[in-house]
Amino acid sequence: MTVEDVKRTENSKALMLANEAMVRAALEADVKVVAFYPGSPVSEIMDTFSEVVDHFGDFKMEISANEKVALETVAGASMAGVRSLTAMKSVGMNVASDAMFSIAYTGLKAGCVVIMADDPYAHSSQSEQDSRYFGEAAYVPLIEPANSQEAYEMVKWAFEVSEKYRTLVLLRTTTRVNHARSMTQLGDMNRTPFERKKWKDVKDQYFTVGAVARELKIKLLKKREAMKEQFENSQFNKIDEGEGETGIITSGVCYLHTKEAMRNLGVSLPVLKIGTINPLPESKISRFMKDLDTVIIVEELSPYLETRITALAKDVNPSLRIVGKRDGSFSEALEYNVPIVEKVIATTLGVDTSVDYNRYLERAAELKRDLPERVPVFCPGCPHRGTLWAFRQALTRLRIRDDIVFNNDIGCYSMAFLPPNEFSDSMLAMGASLGISAGMSLVLEDKVIAMVGDSTLYHAALPGIVNLIHHNSNVTLFVLDNSVTAMTGQQYNPNTPFDAGGRSARKIDMDKLFEALGADSVTVIDPYQTRDCIDPIKEAIGRDGFNVIISRRECALYGDRLKKSRGERIPRSENDKETCRNIYACVKEFYCPAITIDESDYKIMIMETLCDGCLECRQVCPVDAPRHIVGR
Amino acid sequence: MEKTYNILFAGVGGQGLMLLSAVLGKAAVDAGLDVMTGETHGLAQRSGSIYVHFRIGKPISPLIPYGSADMLIAMEATEALRYIEYLKDDGVVIMSKNIMHPVAETKAVALDKTRKTKYYTLSAVEEQLRKVTSRVIALDSLGLAIQAGNARTENSVLIGAAAACPDFPISSEDLKNAVLSLVPPKTRDANAKAFELGTEAGTACLQ
Ligand SMILES: Cc1ncc(C[n+]2csc(CCOP(=O)(O)OP(=O)(O)O)c2C)c(N)n1
Repeated sequence: MTVEDVKRTENSKALMLANEAMVRAALEADVKVVAFYPGSPVSEIMDTFSEVVDHFGDFKMEISANEKVALETVAGASMAGVRSLTAMKSVGMNVASDAMFSIAYTGLKAGCVVIMADDPYAHSSQSEQDSRYFGEAAYVPLIEPANSQEAYEMVKWAFEVSEKYRTLVLLRTTTRVNHARSMTQLGDMNRTPFERKKWKDVKDQYFTVGAVARELKIKLLKKREAMKEQFENSQFNKIDEGEGETGIITSGVCYLHTKEAMRNLGVSLPVLKIGTINPLPESKISRFMKDLDTVIIVEELSPYLETRITALAKDVNPSLRIVGKRDGSFSEALEYNVPIVEKVIATTLGVDTSVDYNRYLERAAELKRDLPERVPVFCPGCPHRGTLWAFRQALTRLRIRDDIVFNNDIGCYSMAFLPPNEFSDSMLAMGASLGISAGMSLVLEDKVIAMVGDSTLYHAALPGIVNLIHHNSNVTLFVLDNSVTAMTGQQYNPNTPFDAGGRSARKIDMDKLFEALGADSVTVIDPYQTRDCIDPIKEAIGRDGFNVIISRRECALYGDRLKKSRGERIPRSENDKETCRNIYACVKEFYCPAITIDESDYKIMIMETLCDGCLECRQVCPVDAPRHIVGR
Repeated sequence: MEKTYNILFAGVGGQGLMLLSAVLGKAAVDAGLDVMTGETHGLAQRSGSIYVHFRIGKPISPLIPYGSADMLIAMEATEALRYIEYLKDDGVVIMSKNIMHPVAETKAVALDKTRKTKYYTLSAVEEQLRKVTSRVIALDSLGLAIQAGNARTENSVLIGAAAACPDFPISSEDLKNAVLSLVPPKTRDANAKAFELGTEAGTACLQ
């Protein structure tokens, strides 16, 4: 439904996720090159572009190997004279930032926008990183929207600012903004055909080092000064007039929580909503707080605004009382909502909250005391379930459970730290398992084992692998080849012969790659033949040198999609109760959500509606009780 | 619409919660109402607990404050209880009677040799919910969907039940049209029937 809203040519209002609204805005701004590596909460931006790339046919799109490559790709396109855009999650910017700092120095040509999403509460990230600091640190403008409408408008504005000052522009969101849907007024869609350019017509210099860098730094400072006025007066920094000596300064989704909290309390305090985080509208902030006696600063994560506002207050209003994180009113952890903001405003004003929120929370905790938790598990049919089971069996049979260290990486298989596996000694950042293994193998007596998925392999693991092989390290590496980047929505990656929109691409030959790098051995296993995986894993772990185990079987969700597109049926399994001897191997160590217990006879029961027919459960069953349902 | 009407959707990944929220979104927009949602997209795996904050009228924040949801629609019964802090006193709960047991619970049930450990039951869910509200509509959504001619019309059963609530801000007519315009054409009749069965069952529960 909303892809239709992204495609339509006329202006209209539509109910859109901010992620969709930003795609629409970029298309209205005639973006010509987009490149992404997926990551929550921005994956829908890439997925939406993929869905419309053939429809428009007038822009180029690549699914990049990682965020740094994606950023460099769009920067290159900008240097070549066309508008371009990328989007990445917070930690993606850590990967891309090396290039970003230099691009800030050299500047660009055509409009180039980077959407960068933080994740307060770490819903789907390794940390609650606050990426607002990147703007200031790199001398790159950074803006922050509160909802879909503003996200849409800011993308268009960002392209203009980027061109005017020949700079990258960062558009910072948070998960709650990316994944909120609201009514958005769209503009007209006037696209132009894609045209190749000649370098001599667009060319400029893009290098920075030493003396050049020193010169560029001076220019960069001037650029920042030049931008200030336009940012000061931007429509995205707005004051909502109100009454009283207490005011509020906020930004992003916190502005919405604040406005609703004030409505609930029946108060109308003056509010300054900041949209341009870098450069900050310092004069506007100073004017706003000059005559206040208290200001409440509502921002998630670090006291970024608070620190800067406190510094400004020292000059314009030294006796101003600042309610924020430093006085303990707000936390630097987790994400905010209306009750959290309402409580602080109410306390500051000395009134009660509109609802006794604690009563609801306490009562709910009491009501839910015996409610079983629903922790994340692998999907029915997931090949990782079989791989991890066989891996643990191999360790048990080798009797080396206590003589190994297992460095895991980022992907669905990260869940190995949860039950029923509950093992993993580290899991930090994409590709980090290799470098961590390098350090550990220098020091530990134990066998060092690392694990990556195919997407992680090509994202950031390759340098770590080259490093291990080069140094003759004794490390066993599992590569979980499930064809796609599963965790973020089964996107294509260099391990598939496809690019965005299903267009053809060249699949990297993984087996040859390891051979060429000089791995001591490469063993390929099929996790659906779960039992048969144990011996080859034992052998590979037992060997000295850099040994690779490739566990190859496509992601179950992706596999189902392929089967459906080929018109094939997805088989279902059942438990043959005659054979079943209540051993529960399939329950204890396997955790398939399709398996439940029949409380009438305590035999297991396979839920047909959930089962994917992989029969990995038959493989772990000592008596082979699970089997396919015949005729269906 | 002066007041804001808040609905919290809850379910298990893979059940089609996003589609359910999309149908209601279309119905509200077509009826000229303002809508805002706060959704969970995050990770792709199935079987996790997911929710959508769905707000009609004059919402400002995408998130419903605790104790402020007028309605909780759960595609799985225990998920209704999981988000109970959002429901206002005497709010409406519409839920499927279906329970999908988490794997850790299955393990506890299987391995208890004394057989004292039992699965969390529908009646336990209902008992807890009734401490907060008398308006609980528990539906055999799968049974009704099958009765309507297509097991995959459970969503329409639940939306049909919402239409049975007197204070629901979207008319039954608009709701049904939105459902029928978004489902595959082949399944239109079954969905229309499922919607009606949901409304009937909902009306019966509220009496
Ligand atoms: C730098 C960075 N970029 C993106 C992500 C988001 N992310 C989390 S898991 C994942 C997929 C990894 O894919 P793969 O290694 O193939 O494992 P799979 O999920 O397919 O098992 C991605 C892209 C991240 N955590 N860090």
